[in-house]
Amino acid sequence: MATLLRSAVLNPEGYRTVRPAGDGGNGKSHSFSSLAPRLDSIEGKTVYLIDTGFGGSGKFLDQLQAWFAERMPSVKTVRRRKTGNIFRDDTKDLWVEVKERGQAAILGVVG
Amino acid sequence: MAVAACSRTLEQEYGIPTAPVSTFEFANVVAGDRRFHGIPLRFIYTPHPVVGMPPSVLRGYIEGKDPATQRTVVDEVVEALTKPVTEDEFVGDFTPPSRAGVRQALLEPDTEDNLQRLFYERGWTDGLPIILPTEERVAAMLSGTNRAPDEVVGEIFLHDTQEYLSFTVEMVAIVGVMAGARAEHLPVLLAIASTGQPSIPGSTTPFACMLVVNGPIRNEIGMNSGVGAFSPRNLANSVIGRAWTLLTINWGYMRLKKQFWTSQGNPIGYNNMCVAENEERSPWEPFHVQKGFQAAESTVSLFRGWSFVNNVVGSSHRTVGEDMFIQLGALPGLYSAATLILDPLVARHLKENEGYRTKLDFSRWISQNFKMPAGQFWGTDLIHMMMAPLAEQGVEPYASWKKLPADTLIAPYDKPENINIVVVGGETSPMWKVADFAYSMSASVDKWRAKPATDECADGSCGLPDEP
Repeated sequence: MATLLRSAVLNPEGYRTVRPAGDGGNGKSHSFSSLAPRLDSIEGKTVYLIDTGFGGSGKFLDQLQAWFAERMPSVKTVRRRKTGNIFRDDTKDLWVEVKERGQAAILGVVG
Repeated sequence: MAVAACSRTLEQEYGIPTAPVSTFEFANVVAGDRRFHGIPLRFIYTPHPVVGMPPSVLRGYIEGKDPATQRTVVDEVVEALTKPVTEDEFVGDFTPPSRAGVRQALLEPDTEDNLQRLFYERGWTDGLPIILPTEERVAAMLSGTNRAPDEVVGEIFLHDTQEYLSFTVEMVAIVGVMAGARAEHLPVLLAIASTGQPSIPGSTTPFACMLVVNGPIRNEIGMNSGVGAFSPRNLANSVIGRAWTLLTINWGYMRLKKQFWTSQGNPIGYNNMCVAENEERSPWEPFHVQKGFQAAESTVSLFRGWSFVNNVVGSSHRTVGEDMFIQLGALPGLYSAATLILDPLVARHLKENEGYRTKLDFSRWISQNFKMPAGQFWGTDLIHMMMAPLAEQGVEPYASWKKLPADTLIAPYDKPENINIVVVGGETSPMWKVADFAYSMSASVDKWRAKPATDECADGSCGLPDEP
């Protein structure tokens, strides 16, 4: 075969060094207690519908709020927009409010 | 992933049960988040997309099936908040993926065609043929810097594996060879790499980036800042801009639906509007001097946005400013950011005939005089996403703007320092471009050089091949 073979071509992914973000993530909260206790029922409870800001999320939650009003009217829903940056977990004030006045939260929508 | 992160915080720090909702398109992102954090959040999926859907469709999503489970979405929402947590939810694969590990440094010998195919199929290219990075070529490339091949240039965050990837001088040199760069281009590539900024950020949106080189190195390496500077003709402009995207690709930013999400993409990514500022013909101080560098220093400056609008045949029926206002009206005005790229003819006209002594003078005039209806501003999804929270927090002027009737005019470019001006062009016609690009950062080129700055080419258009 007359075709020249190229040798000693470097792999652009040859040496990769990585370090995990933060404290490594894996397993740090990997336990039964890492989810909050669930409610017995949402009847009569206050549920926050939190728009995280992505396009269409608010309108989706409007429809979800309407659904609760029609189908589960004992559920009090509170529509709020996430405070702070859309891409960060930087909210404090709203979470304090949810803790003080609510029992559950629906967040969305990714996408 | 903010929805997951916020849900974790509510669950763990506030004891609030959550029901996070995502469209099914992002199920693998949710899965990656679950593996990394080890927390089985009870995500519910809707069909995709949510954005732009009328109320009837969204109501259908709520009463319809979760594409992942074929169960009713609203039933899953209620169950997510009420079904007791069980140990079973913590069973499964919680091992996060990783890019760690030493791979084979040298590829198996093969033919040129087969290696080209290998590079393409491994996802290491932009789809165009590359120059194969042989040891010999990479060694020659490394002569362009005085830095050791194994010196770490910087690191970049990989969203899909939640890791920081370090990259060395040699890795940048390999990519430089692939892009077709020469050794004298390497200091610019290292400066770009040192920023850790991808040219194609992980986003569903069509991000676009621009790269502007200032200082003596522009002419030493034959960059074009004159006639057709943005056109595909000049070697340095083409390969440096391409190398930024090849770096981005090899950092892992083009892994389909892991880091690479852009629905339509953006052709600017082929070379990222890589250009030099025409400092010699500009009546104003160079861009890097505005950012605190000395004129004799060489720098790269990076910009990021989505779109630009060309002025096409100059401006004889309106003033330059009036025409720019029409163009700015098509852009969102996010964080007051815009970038005006002016031919030297336009820049000198603005200085000599309209009296703008500095770039900032003209930016101030734009800031004060360009107006947009408040309804147009807030009705842009990008503005609603990024700036509505500022208004709700009471940050001015956004809080006041949010209360205005839709037809009330506001001046959305309220920060003149965020209206960037760069002078580029060959003075064949008084042209300009108006972009929604925000300035990201500048980085020194000089610290990566093999030798100090030398000769300059004074006319600002070096690097073009001679006419036949």
